[in-house]
Amino acid sequence: MNSRNLVRGLCLMAIALAFGLQSLRYSLGQFSHPGPGLFPLLVSSLLLIVGISTVVRSHFAERVPLSFNLKNITLILGSLVGFALISEHLNMIVGIVFMVFFASFAGKKYSVLLNLKISAGLIAIAFALQKLLGLNLPLY
Amino acid sequence: MDVLHNLAFGFSHALTWQNLLFCAIGCTVGTFVGLLPGLGPLATISLLLPLTYSIPTTGALIMLAGIYYGAQYGDSVSAITMKIPHASSIVACIDGYQMTLKGQTGLALFTAGVSSFIGGTVAIVVLSCLAPALGEVAFLFGPADYCALMLVGFVCVSFITTGSLLNGLAMCLIGVLLGQIGTDVTSGTQRFTMDLQFLADGVGLISIALGCFGIAEITKNLDKREERTPFNGKIKLMPTWPEFKRIIPSALRGSAIGSFLGILPGGGPVIAQFAAYALDKRFSKYKHEIGSGAIEGVAGQAAADEAASRTSFIPLMSIGIPENPVMALMLAAFIIKGIQPGPNMIASHPELFWGLVASMWVGNCFLIVLNVPLVRYLLSIFKIPYAVLFPSILFFCCIGTFSVNNNLDDIFTTAVFGLMGYVFVCLELDAAPLMLGFILGPMLEENFRRALLISRGDFGAFFTRPISGTLLALIGIFIVWQLTLFVRQARQASALDKKLA
Repeated sequence: MNSRNLVRGLCLMAIALAFGLQSLRYSLGQFSHPGPGLFPLLVSSLLLIVGISTVVRSHFAERVPLSFNLKNITLILGSLVGFALISEHLNMIVGIVFMVFFASFAGKKYSVLLNLKISAGLIAIAFALQKLLGLNLPLY
Repeated sequence: MDVLHNLAFGFSHALTWQNLLFCAIGCTVGTFVGLLPGLGPLATISLLLPLTYSIPTTGALIMLAGIYYGAQYGDSVSAITMKIPHASSIVACIDGYQMTLKGQTGLALFTAGVSSFIGGTVAIVVLSCLAPALGEVAFLFGPADYCALMLVGFVCVSFITTGSLLNGLAMCLIGVLLGQIGTDVTSGTQRFTMDLQFLADGVGLISIALGCFGIAEITKNLDKREERTPFNGKIKLMPTWPEFKRIIPSALRGSAIGSFLGILPGGGPVIAQFAAYALDKRFSKYKHEIGSGAIEGVAGQAAADEAASRTSFIPLMSIGIPENPVMALMLAAFIIKGIQPGPNMIASHPELFWGLVASMWVGNCFLIVLNVPLVRYLLSIFKIPYAVLFPSILFFCCIGTFSVNNNLDDIFTTAVFGLMGYVFVCLELDAAPLMLGFILGPMLEENFRRALLISRGDFGAFFTRPISGTLLALIGIFIVWQLTLFVRQARQASALDKKLA
């Protein structure tokens, strides 16, 4: 099961089915008057074929282990979501500080001083963007 | 003489103080970001696209074009000095890095700079002669022909950027499906929105681009945990006269092949570099040295790189169909600015078209100044540790997403696509064709439905029209060729297994 090629094929099939089954619920129309469901159905059937052939091919190809490092992607996504939530409810300066401190857990070493410096730099850049380029950032 | 007159008109727009400034900013920022590890032209453009929102149209497009070829060039600098291969500068790693090992970094950078200048100049001549002519041809295109052309683009891009037709095609199709999310233009039905209000307008381009290229790239680099040694070598820039003479023929060869390959669907800098390198290996006077750090190995590919990155604007601006993912992003930038590239663009926005063409030459001059005398200062960017870089890139991803609609919720969408992009990376699926599919998807559907409507549901119309028929036949031949290749490889492998047993 632990083969990258097989998982890739299965993922493609899953995406194809998700879109294909959903598009059946929209009107298909006729070929002379295509409805909103026709084109997505065609495209997802094609994708399904590609997915199936990937699965078939994975039986003949050499098995490559799948590497998925959950820690880093969780930290990065967590820092994004945290940034958005904090910026929405408090302000963006706190959001930036949170993002830097949280995301850098994914780095090699953790240094509070360095993080403070990065945060200060980014806040300065944010002010520059706001004042000079006129971006509408909710900084404070 | 018409062309000269038009170019003069273009220069009168490109040489205003404002546009000069935008061009300079674009080239500089593009080169800097392109130098960073893991950020190629696609990621760079999508990171910096939001910065151009508040700039007037011509200036914004001049700046974006500058960012593009700046990033392209920055890539090759990091390839020559540090052997950090980006997707767009694999060839520069071969001889360029060999020259660095021999202590000729300065010579390699000078060669790359001068050849890029030559390549860019040749390409601009091609661009200004060919684009208006091709625009005339584009008037002959019907909906079926547009469909066929886009499909050719999908197949070529899938094959060239990923090397595997199946994987690339899958990504294109996923892109097309993602482009379906939102309200159907023809019938007003909301499709695949999962009853979420913010999806009614479709998924934001910037969210997908930053998620799949920004966030996924950062995480991939963090996973690798590679220690990069900053470049500290000395740089001696000026070549001797015999060395300089070796640059010219190779650069001219590269410019010619690059200009040609840039125009073809699926073409662009990457394929042009390989072709130019192969050409030099075959025809250069010094072909025995290529591969071990020869000037020709750098000059030809650098010229082809720049030439192709400029001529790939031709199909975008004259037909309105981007032929590689970077151009698809440029198309999105044009549309954001309210301009629809296509056969009418040159006639209705001459100041934009000729201004952009002229600014490319101005950009050429900026690049050569930036990269030849100032390159040693540029390289100091490698001294920035990744611990500082990645939170900063993350910050710019957030700001970029936010400033599209001034909406913090868009950051959640970016996060979702970041996860998706990371899964794709783990599955070894290249996200670049997805971008092309996403941007071309709605156009493909519209033309497909229109073609069927005109032909009253008869699929024969796709095959009987001369243009679309030819293009579809090409796709057919290509797919059959790939299939036979695939079956033959499988047979060879099984024969090998039997022998071993």
